[in-house]
Amino acid sequence: MFDLFSDIFARSDNALTRVDTRVKLIIALSAIVAVMFSSRGVLPLGICVLCIWVMLALGLPLRIVILRLAGPLGIAVVLVVLQGFFTKGSPVFQLTVLGTDIAATREGLWKGTLLASRVLGSMSVVMLLGAVTPAYKVFHALRWWGVPESWVEIALLVYRYTFVLLDQAADVAEAQRVRLGYSSLRRSLDSVGILAGTVITRSLEQAMRTHEAMVLRGYDGGICFGPLPGIAVQDRRCLVVALPALFAVYALIEWWPM
Amino acid sequence: MKRHRAVILFFMTMSAMLITVDSAWAMHISEGILPFSWAVLWAVMSLPFLAWGMRDLRERSRREPHLKAFVGLVGAGVFVISCMPIPVPTAGTCSHPCGTGMAAILIGPFLSAVVASVALTLQALFLAHGGLTTLGANIFAMGVVGSFAGYGAFRLTRGLGASPFAAAFCAGLLADWATYATTSLTLTLALHGDGSFWSMLVSILLAFVPTQVPLGILEGVISGIAYGFVHARRPEILGALVKGEVS
Repeated sequence: MFDLFSDIFARSDNALTRVDTRVKLIIALSAIVAVMFSSRGVLPLGICVLCIWVMLALGLPLRIVILRLAGPLGIAVVLVVLQGFFTKGSPVFQLTVLGTDIAATREGLWKGTLLASRVLGSMSVVMLLGAVTPAYKVFHALRWWGVPESWVEIALLVYRYTFVLLDQAADVAEAQRVRLGYSSLRRSLDSVGILAGTVITRSLEQAMRTHEAMVLRGYDGGICFGPLPGIAVQDRRCLVVALPALFAVYALIEWWPM
Repeated sequence: MKRHRAVILFFMTMSAMLITVDSAWAMHISEGILPFSWAVLWAVMSLPFLAWGMRDLRERSRREPHLKAFVGLVGAGVFVISCMPIPVPTAGTCSHPCGTGMAAILIGPFLSAVVASVALTLQALFLAHGGLTTLGANIFAMGVVGSFAGYGAFRLTRGLGASPFAAAFCAGLLADWATYATTSLTLTLALHGDGSFWSMLVSILLAFVPTQVPLGILEGVISGIAYGFVHARRPEILGALVKGEVS
């Protein structure tokens, strides 16, 4: 879980981590919109391959990439099945299950494949964004988009204490395990419930201590974030190059005669 | 004939599920599934609840200065709880609780929606779980419907004289099931196309049943034990959180 959730890779120094987070967010959201509006699977799948290649080139372990992609891949499979058999159209093949014939249609499979490619394309964009941007930078950048500062403050607190509590939960679970707390279904349920209760209790105790510590350091009910710095010239250039390039590729693929 | 078709599709979907990983069927809608118009609509529907939650946070934190740290830590607690895999024997996989039922009875439904929005953003960015464009739909299902269903069930059952365990059990159970029902509806509305709305809704609901029915019960039991644990050991914490309303 730590490996999977941790944004430690986003803290390394490389060409993409150095780009302003606001620029990365604009490019990522534009890519997702392009994927969502694409009527052919080429662009989403191309973006998916490109993002995976970049993640691997940046040194993200293959295991993490596969683990994070496993969910979207499963969804893609189910989408093809659901759309293939639910959409009306010309049958491609037929199955007889429990004495009933059901047919997969060409239109359904096409629609399912397109949806699946959109899921893979857009998820890989989000994965790449998460792999090159630490969470706190994303939250700070969200202020630029008009997200209230108190939401950002809560998000930063949640993010900070998630690791503390994961650590605490792992310790409690380990202590329960060595005391045979998971030896039967009944004991497992009790143990998980007590684990959750302990996490809540410790959360609140920690909150009291955190608040006192923050007050001692001058906290008066709100973090003073200060103004966001302007976007650097080289980052603006990134935007100027990336957005027209994305639009050109989108237009080329969409309007290219099949 | 239609019922047969739904049953067969259910088994096919289940087969597809079982050859893929469990996280595919966690309750969040993945990036790229919802058309743009639906994504925007669900985001717009979630915004008033988040705005009210932020207003609630501002007003309450003036009276209770420690509240922000509380909410942040409850949010982290919910996030950790929702990351705990729980075996679902009928599906042969693991899944996880959503946690908003518990959050709603601890900090109130509007703040629970805010906490859910933060947790969902983190999950979308770093666990490939959910998505940025589907954030609105996921917040509405888990943060809004889940929180209000859980909170409503808790208040109602406590009002009827149920024990803390029973009330928290109902909150966890209903929050989980309400979230999955809303997610199924969201998916059907967006995906049924020219096919039958009802047969797709039934199929998606049925596909969730083997994991979500036991998971909802498990979440209810865990919420009940957890709330009962806090209620028995540290009742003053609950009083501090909601000024004695929930105890």
